[in-house]
Amino acid sequence: MRHWSLPLLALALLLALAPGADAQPKDTLTVALISHAPTLDPHMHFERVGILVNINMFDSLLHKNARLEYEPSLATSWKALNDTTWEFKLRKGVKFHNGDTLTAEDVKFSIERVTEPGKEKKKSPQYGNVRAIKDVRIVDADTIHLVTDKPFPLLLERLVFFPIVPKKHLEKVGDDAFGTTAAVGTGPWKFVEWKRDQYIRLEAFDGHWRGKPAFKHLVIRAIPEVATQIAEIKTGGVDLIRNVSADIAPELKAHAQTYVSSAPILRVHYVELDMRSAPFDKKLVRQAANLAIDKQAIIQRLMGGLGRQVATVVQPPAFGHDPEVQPFPFDPKKAKELLAQAGYPSGVDITLHSAFVEFRPVFEALTQMLTEVGIRTNARMWDPGPAWNKFLQAEGKATNGAYGSWGNYSVFDADAVLHPLFHTEPGGWIGKHYTRVEGLDKLIDEGRSTLNQAARKRTYSQIQKLIREEAPAIYLFTQYDTLAISKRVEYAARGDEWLWLFDAKPKR
Amino acid sequence: MSAFLVRRLVRLAVVITGVSLVTFAILHASGDPVSLIMPEAPEADRAVLRRTLGLHDPLPVQFARFVGNAVTGNFGKSFFHHGQSASALVLERMPTTLMLTVFSMGVALAIALPVGIYSAVRRGRAVDQLATGTVFLGQSMPVFWTGIMLILLFSVQWRLLPVSGWESWAAVILPTATLSTFTAPLLLRIVRSSMLDVIGLDYVRTARAKGVSEWLVICRHALKNAALPLVTVTGLQFGLLLGGAVITETVFAVPGVGRLIVGAIRQLDFPVVQAGVFMLAMIVVSVNFLVDVLYLYLNPQIRVR
Repeated sequence: MRHWSLPLLALALLLALAPGADAQPKDTLTVALISHAPTLDPHMHFERVGILVNINMFDSLLHKNARLEYEPSLATSWKALNDTTWEFKLRKGVKFHNGDTLTAEDVKFSIERVTEPGKEKKKSPQYGNVRAIKDVRIVDADTIHLVTDKPFPLLLERLVFFPIVPKKHLEKVGDDAFGTTAAVGTGPWKFVEWKRDQYIRLEAFDGHWRGKPAFKHLVIRAIPEVATQIAEIKTGGVDLIRNVSADIAPELKAHAQTYVSSAPILRVHYVELDMRSAPFDKKLVRQAANLAIDKQAIIQRLMGGLGRQVATVVQPPAFGHDPEVQPFPFDPKKAKELLAQAGYPSGVDITLHSAFVEFRPVFEALTQMLTEVGIRTNARMWDPGPAWNKFLQAEGKATNGAYGSWGNYSVFDADAVLHPLFHTEPGGWIGKHYTRVEGLDKLIDEGRSTLNQAARKRTYSQIQKLIREEAPAIYLFTQYDTLAISKRVEYAARGDEWLWLFDAKPKR
Repeated sequence: MSAFLVRRLVRLAVVITGVSLVTFAILHASGDPVSLIMPEAPEADRAVLRRTLGLHDPLPVQFARFVGNAVTGNFGKSFFHHGQSASALVLERMPTTLMLTVFSMGVALAIALPVGIYSAVRRGRAVDQLATGTVFLGQSMPVFWTGIMLILLFSVQWRLLPVSGWESWAAVILPTATLSTFTAPLLLRIVRSSMLDVIGLDYVRTARAKGVSEWLVICRHALKNAALPLVTVTGLQFGLLLGGAVITETVFAVPGVGRLIVGAIRQLDFPVVQAGVFMLAMIVVSVNFLVDVLYLYLNPQIRVR
């Protein structure tokens, strides 16, 4: 045994010397994301993981509070002067992290940095969000006018994430340095260090106009593996992880050092049906498919109760949602009747596709329920990414429909879900392949071309009644965002999936 | 001898070209990065981007351009990391991956050599049986599983080591242990069996008969000849280790090349995947070339041939 004692002793010594999984210092808040965005520049990427970091370093003209109501941020007030001109009053005396004072020039510069008027090729991937803004006019030191090419009802929604960057500083350091080592904003935390694929370290900004955030240090770690994130939060290595799935939530709820916080979000699940070909070219079959699904059973059994049944794809918190429109009930008997009426008394065979890997059990349950009423479904699961994209580009052919979800890019407006899902415009998303509802395009266009919110509401109400009847999709439920949080931190999940950590407080 | 080296060098070039071609073909068969970069853009905007990225040319043209540039070390700019060159992204992370791989190889050898020799010498005894059993276990565990189990035991259960990251020396221990667990068993088996082959030979018996101490017999006489297969396998294992590092880096959030490549594949960032695979392949092939050279030194028979 003599031979073994030495290596064992060495191992014991090594373990004794190694600093163990250590708890965080009191004034540090550590968040885990699956990755970092390629840049800290808030205008030059379009990634959720980047936005979550950016919002804590930069301010936009408007902000949304935890109840998702508009709040003044860099703009103290705003109003529409006419159908295409908006006036914003800027907050006075706001300081950037480098000490510069915010001016109207910075706002104009920030917007034109993305819209790049007169340039053929735009370098910002966010261009589409604000392409409606044709002109930014500086009226006086604290007033700017935004002029849109046509009435643009989504303007305020788009400006909630549209960070304002310092013109002088950016022109001095250049785009590349700004995105990697010299990011400067007006937000609660300022940039300290970015170790790629490891952590982004931020520090509270003393001159922030809201006051100082509760945590002095904010660290955003990149941890790609979910199991590793869970081990980290259990051992106090991180304080907050996102996207906790229904099967893991109970464990983290019961854990001595963590709790779980959920909020209903915009992400809506649906099965978009191919109306160009049989059997879903028939309205009765589409209605039958809707009646075949026991949505409550799926929510309760497969999603840990974290889901809200919806009548169409328009989410309850989105502007334009009509609560009068009722969801399809679960009625397999009626479904069979409708199917028979449509000319399929002995059922019909279909294929559905999905690349929504996290919700595979839901997909399988859906197809089973359809099969039970006679819509015998062959379920095909894809890896998200390349092959799936190719499939969608091939006009979604060789399929009768696709199970998926849509999160509106966090825009709380019916237009942000109706247009991509159901409008047939060639540049559109999935609707251009599948949806063929008479008059729907025109109504969607109508809804997005006026600022009169009452008129828009009426239009969207009309659309929801129409699509409830025509059923271009199987309507399912909206999802929840679930965070696991360390018990030493007080924070709650938000309906827009933001991590607005200014609201995070140490727990006593 | 020089003919031997030249043959090996030619083979090296063929392997590298083959690896590049396969990577290139698989990537381009897997889809259109432009639709991932701008999922909601109109087709006209996409066409512009496709042109800028050079993706509108026929595949053979693209491949020729890729090879031409790769020879000069230029793999183009990353689609995803704006404006950064793909080779810079890979090189920035290469030391981390090499460190992890070399450490793991070191630890694996440090375990395999003594234990392998010992179990060969004490064949059939308790230590030998224990070692053989462990080998069996170690080889049956997939890397990602070993990694997660080690996290659960050492970090969650016993709170001895950090779960993930690369910020302290303590954080290096678990990923290294994971990879060594994967390599050590095979090396151990090779050491044991080649020692067994050699230990019964006449020259070893002669050495013993001359009165050379047992320790010297094993280390000086037996091991020198038994080392040949070990060198070969170590070279081969190096490639496997780099492959294992890809998974290990993801599990332990290690900022290395493997994790970069996994992310790049997901984003269809062709230049980064190509640069990463190319450079990893270069390393594997070079290590094997070194092994060949080492052979010349260790085994004079080849030199004669």
